[in-house]
Amino acid sequence: MKVNKTSALIAVAAIALAAILPMFISNNYHLNLMIQVLINIIIVVGLNFITGLTGQMNLGTAGIFSMGAYTSSLLATRLGINPWICLIAAVGMGFLIGMGLGYPSLRVSGVYLALTTIGFSEIVRILMTNLTGLTGGALGVTGIPPFSILGHKFQTNKEIYYLYLVIAIILIFNAYRIVNSKWGRAFLAVKDNPDAVEAGGINIASIKILAFTLAAVYATVAGSLYAHYVGFINPSAYNLEYSINYVVMLVIGGIGSVPGNVLGAILVTLVPELLRFMENYYWLVFSIITLLFVIFLPNGMVSLFKGKKREEKAGKGAQANGR
Amino acid sequence: MADNREGKSILTLNHVTKRFSGLVAVNDLSLDMKERTIHALIGPNGAGKSTAINMITGLLPLTEGEIYHEDTKISGMNAHQIARTSCSRTFQNLKLYRSMTVKENLMMGNMTDRKQGFVPFLFDIKNANKEEKLMNEKADQILEFMGLKDLAGEYPANMPYGKQKLTELARSLMSDPRLLFLDEPAAGLNPSERVEFVNIMLKVFDSGIDIFLIEHNMDVIMNISNYITVINFGAKIAESTPEEIQQDPVVIKAYLGDRYKQNMARGASNA
Repeated sequence: MKVNKTSALIAVAAIALAAILPMFISNNYHLNLMIQVLINIIIVVGLNFITGLTGQMNLGTAGIFSMGAYTSSLLATRLGINPWICLIAAVGMGFLIGMGLGYPSLRVSGVYLALTTIGFSEIVRILMTNLTGLTGGALGVTGIPPFSILGHKFQTNKEIYYLYLVIAIILIFNAYRIVNSKWGRAFLAVKDNPDAVEAGGINIASIKILAFTLAAVYATVAGSLYAHYVGFINPSAYNLEYSINYVVMLVIGGIGSVPGNVLGAILVTLVPELLRFMENYYWLVFSIITLLFVIFLPNGMVSLFKGKKREEKAGKGAQANGR
Repeated sequence: MADNREGKSILTLNHVTKRFSGLVAVNDLSLDMKERTIHALIGPNGAGKSTAINMITGLLPLTEGEIYHEDTKISGMNAHQIARTSCSRTFQNLKLYRSMTVKENLMMGNMTDRKQGFVPFLFDIKNANKEEKLMNEKADQILEFMGLKDLAGEYPANMPYGKQKLTELARSLMSDPRLLFLDEPAAGLNPSERVEFVNIMLKVFDSGIDIFLIEHNMDVIMNISNYITVINFGAKIAESTPEEIQQDPVVIKAYLGDRYKQNMARGASNA
């Protein structure tokens, strides 16, 4: 893995900033937002593997996320299992979903795959709403216990923020390693030219399933973290709009780049909050901002920092390979 | 057309047929490629050359017949499995990874050589870095060999066509193949690029890699190949050395044309 000094410095500075920021924030609502940002970062960094690098449109994030949240919270509330073990169970659920969604992606692609993942997500939401006996139906699950280490419960927002920050850093670090290794290149290669990948001796099926599994595991982990943070969940929020929101984060931040994903998750979580004073119009304004981003920065925020070469490549590449 | 060649067969096609519903693209093609040869497959447009090479490398399933790489039966295998029997190929229409640099393109070429799986990759950072370093070094060697070192950080779309072709060839060499398939390597190259490409192909052959190629350019074919199979309408019409193929009336009628014969005669009388 190539890590140049500048990016290492930026990473250290970002972590330091994330670590000292809560000391200046006493407002609970703002801390709540920051925890939400961390959870969203994890989801987007995961989504990057499948939609960003491998180019398979996944609009089932809501379903995957809620499966993680429900797995974790039901085990914790119904069986009284330690939240950490619930988190591991959520990882297991992520594996199963990744395999399950990965297989259709070997046969269908493009719009059809997007529809398949939407279908999956809707099935999950409807089951969560209607299996009242198991999931509590529309009322959801309440009283989900927080994480604890050696008997210390993480209850205040500040404590939870630091715990989740550590988890997020571990996950981001690993995502960065994967993206900048042979695995990341293989994901990108599947998007660029599947025939060449096969001719290179690489099994596309296993690469696609790996990408789906990674995305699913990141999302279920995020779901579990979310459930144990807010303490209650219900299925109503996890609709298509929720899934699309993460694709928006991915596109605005920068497809394929882990720092871009982080940036996108931060912006798309926080900017709507800043626009809230516009009341009825805030979602309209935010949608226009999104549109402008897509038109003028097709490679995302991160392309602003990447210098000339990247732009040149994007322009010429698009022309030369227009098909 | 008596086959009096000696040596071990590296690639054998036994009565291979490919039908696309009604259309017979390749019809009962048998072929025997010996070790240490550059074997060319030629024929008019639509003769089924690309279909043949796509069947051999596993991108298309066979309708009938069998294909062997040395003693391994490769018909029926998936493309990636065939590639792992140390076969490698390039494509008629370049298939480079456009969002990666030249060097990254190359480093995709031998991903399977390096055995570390995904879970070990996550936990054994030291070995993962070592592996990445080895891939890097290998890519540097090949770039040096191909004379592409200056372009290592360039994106394919920013390079001339000839360099893109060389990049694809370089990528196919990354896995240390023993048998290399080239689908129209000289197509679209200008004369000076063609000379450069032929020289590199010969250099690759000298390094111990056998080459099976499809080509339209007669200069290239007659200069570098040791043995030629000619097909027309999916069926084999001739098979011999370049010298004999040029004289073969069937081949001249179906493919080379009378003009070619006249040019040859003129060339001979001038010489």
